[in-house]
Amino acid sequence: MQALTDNSLMLKVKSGDTDKLGLLYERHKKRLFGFFYNMNGNPSISEDLVQNVFIKILKYKHTFTGEGSFDAWIFKMARNIYYDHFKNYNKKNNTDALSSMEYRLEDSDNLDSKMELTDNMVQLRTALSKISPEKREILVLSKFKEIGYNEIGEILGCSEGAAKVKAHRALKDLKTIFMQLDKI
Amino acid sequence: MEQEKFKIWSIDYLSGALDAEGKKTFDAFLESNEVYKQEFKDLKNSWNQIENLETPVPSEEMDKNFYEMLYAHKEEKENVFSKIEGSLKTVWQSMMRPQLAYGILILCIGLGLGYFMNSEPTVSTTIVNTETEKIRGELVLTLLEQPSANKRLQGISEANKFTKANDKVIKALLQTLNNDPNVNVRLAAIEALTNYLDNPIVREGLVLSIVKQKSPIVQVTLADLMVALQEKKSIEPFKKLIRTKELDKSVKEKLETTIQSII
Repeated sequence: MQALTDNSLMLKVKSGDTDKLGLLYERHKKRLFGFFYNMNGNPSISEDLVQNVFIKILKYKHTFTGEGSFDAWIFKMARNIYYDHFKNYNKKNNTDALSSMEYRLEDSDNLDSKMELTDNMVQLRTALSKISPEKREILVLSKFKEIGYNEIGEILGCSEGAAKVKAHRALKDLKTIFMQLDKI
Repeated sequence: MEQEKFKIWSIDYLSGALDAEGKKTFDAFLESNEVYKQEFKDLKNSWNQIENLETPVPSEEMDKNFYEMLYAHKEEKENVFSKIEGSLKTVWQSMMRPQLAYGILILCIGLGLGYFMNSEPTVSTTIVNTETEKIRGELVLTLLEQPSANKRLQGISEANKFTKANDKVIKALLQTLNNDPNVNVRLAAIEALTNYLDNPIVREGLVLSIVKQKSPIVQVTLADLMVALQEKKSIEPFKKLIRTKELDKSVKEKLETTIQSII
């Protein structure tokens, strides 16, 4: 079964063999959770968003063509879900900017408390929360070794070169903010 | 070097997209450019921080929720199928109900009765038709005996309506042809008799009536008919007719031509 690629599994799901979605879930759940968690810092929201990705896959399985990278397809979907979720969140809470959604480390319950967060890590997370979501997402996606910059470009809707330039800028911004926090 | 190119090159280096040779070239470039070297050092530091950023493991609750969702989706899908199956079953079961069976039985009986009752009129229609022919025969005979030529013509027109030759009617028509005082009636009788030319009695009657005809128009009509029938038996009566003194000259010529045509 391992020989089956993500694309062929997804095509099986498309043809009605929904059990195969379980395999895709097992393969991608950690990375998707990591993406959402590093984007918003809330584990329970991130878990809900992972769930939403798979609900959306079932709903829109007919749109999957089997061409191109499955990673790019699923992360593009994850990215849309993330932005939709916080657009609605901001509407409900009467806030305008997407960036107003802050990392809520204080909300992070058991999962975070189980991790021994060093001061450095807390500072890094805070710095990450201060940069724009667009810059944050490219850094979060860059963490995944399996996803190349050509796929990141596809997810973000830009060229591979543009994705690399964006990553460079995001790293620089992160460094600046991190240093500012250091001085406080 | 262009700033943009350096940005892309440095990300290639950090993401491990460069091979050993590429890395060597990049390192050599940095050694010769102190500004880029410092910038890259900062970039690498941030890159490593992101790389080392720990992410918690999702809870078992997430797995539970996912499989519950997947199970619910499958069940919903199966329910749709089973609903269709169930409704088909219900229809089938309702069809098998005794009431419906009785209904179908009654319907079959009705259809059977309907069929038999429908076929009866066919029998009665035949009877009616036979009776109509019989009555029409009587009517023709009666009308032909009427003193009015019109009535007799009406009788001949009735005789034309027969589907099957009636011996009595044929006899009456031949009698009319031989004895009727009115030329028109006799001509109409010839026309009516042409309906039964396959009957030998009719043909023989027509041949025998040739000598009995006094009217030129009837004689000519019979002559034309005999030519059409190529009736050889008519030659002798025509010859006999030609020998009669009172025969019209033009009719005589016509009969001679007729004889020639038949021979």
